Amino acid sequence: MNCPKLKNWLEERYDWEGMKRFAKRKLVPEHRYDLWYYTGGITLFLFILQFLTGMLLAFYYVPHIDFAHKSIIEIVTKQNLGWFFRSFHHWGSELCIAFLFIHLFGTLLLKSYRKPREFLWATGFILLGVSIFFGLSGYLLLWDERALAAVRVATGGAGNFPFIGGFIKAFLRGSIDVTGDTLTRFYAFHVAILPIITLLLVGLHLLLMQYHGMSVPLSLEKEKRREIPFFPNFFYKDLMVWLVVLGVLTTLAVLLPPEIGAKADPLAPPPENVKPEWYFLFLLETLKLFPGAILGLNGETIAILMVSCAILFFFLIPFFDQRSARGEKSPLFTWIGVIYLLYFLTMTVVGYLS
Amino acid sequence: MRRIGVVKGLKRFSLFRFAQPMVMALFVMIQPAPSPAADRIAVFPTTPFDAYIIYESLAVLWLAIIGLIVIIRMKLREIERIQEMGIDKEDKDAPLLQ
Repeated sequence: MNCPKLKNWLEERYDWEGMKRFAKRKLVPEHRYDLWYYTGGITLFLFILQFLTGMLLAFYYVPHIDFAHKSIIEIVTKQNLGWFFRSFHHWGSELCIAFLFIHLFGTLLLKSYRKPREFLWATGFILLGVSIFFGLSGYLLLWDERALAAVRVATGGAGNFPFIGGFIKAFLRGSIDVTGDTLTRFYAFHVAILPIITLLLVGLHLLLMQYHGMSVPLSLEKEKRREIPFFPNFFYKDLMVWLVVLGVLTTLAVLLPPEIGAKADPLAPPPENVKPEWYFLFLLETLKLFPGAILGLNGETIAILMVSCAILFFFLIPFFDQRSARGEKSPLFTWIGVIYLLYFLTMTVVGYLS
Repeated sequence: MRRIGVVKGLKRFSLFRFAQPMVMALFVMIQPAPSPAADRIAVFPTTPFDAYIIYESLAVLWLAIIGLIVIIRMKLREIERIQEMGIDKEDKDAPLLQ
């Protein structure tokens, strides 16, 4: 496409050619692990889709205890393609979190977090936490019996955290139990607070990636390798992957639209066999491993503390792994990464099958 | 695409014109009658006609995605060929025609 008038118009105001030169100068290494580079791009693409479909759903959603469930039923049954956009948003969130996990474990196992990219790891890790909270807050907006039970369990679990647990629980619920106040709060989180945090984190993550450039695995650092320009070579490859992801997401949205349960009743007993979203299953299964009381202390509190310590250690890995920072191989942290990955996968599968 | 001439001088028909309503009719016939449970909310259009249109659109979307990927792949190969030849960089001394 050649638009000389538009080009000139832009060139008079901005350094358009300079920007083009910059995009062409940015290089992407080519090697046998370069497949992992695409997982970050896919996540970014899914975030964009989530923002767009979320905006559409927000036009019709009513965040009130009496109308929330009804408004979702109306979106699904009365609005044109409402069922599709809701299903697309649901599967988009599932895929987004799945790709965030894949991107995270890829970064961990390839040691891409090593010096000087510690803050890239930190922003990505926090982004995963924010996305999980995005998922939980979006889940409650449905206001059906499963969502109510899941949020009760999740906020109740956070309440078992020593010292600040009570405050976290009260802050999240906005009341003693999960009520209409919680729905209002979760809506505010889902449509205002979390999107701003996400935008800031994504912006910072991209800026840091631009500054440091793409990481190359330690084992390939000394090898001679080819580099391709980001634009247009890598960009076109990214575009093809995004198209496939769009196709898979649309297929999932059409073939497996998520169910809507009965309207939540805070006074009714929780329904049987309620399972949280797949990314919480490993946590739930871990909690089940602990007895009710250990040495006179609350077992759940000890479990939450241990899980929190394990997550904190995971977050701080780039600062502990000094061998990688020096450019040396660190098999210990590779094994730690493999153990984390296997534990997460095993517990998720066990939770899904039980 | 093969075309069938019906009668000399008459409009020529494409096979797709017949195929689409036939597949649609078949799809509608083999669809089970909708029987929504009392407490279940329909999260997908229940009429066979709507369902057919949706599945057809999904197939068209996949065809469009494959087509776009083929075009982008061709474009990428052409860019790589030009880059290998080393003629992708702008010549600074090239004379300009005003």
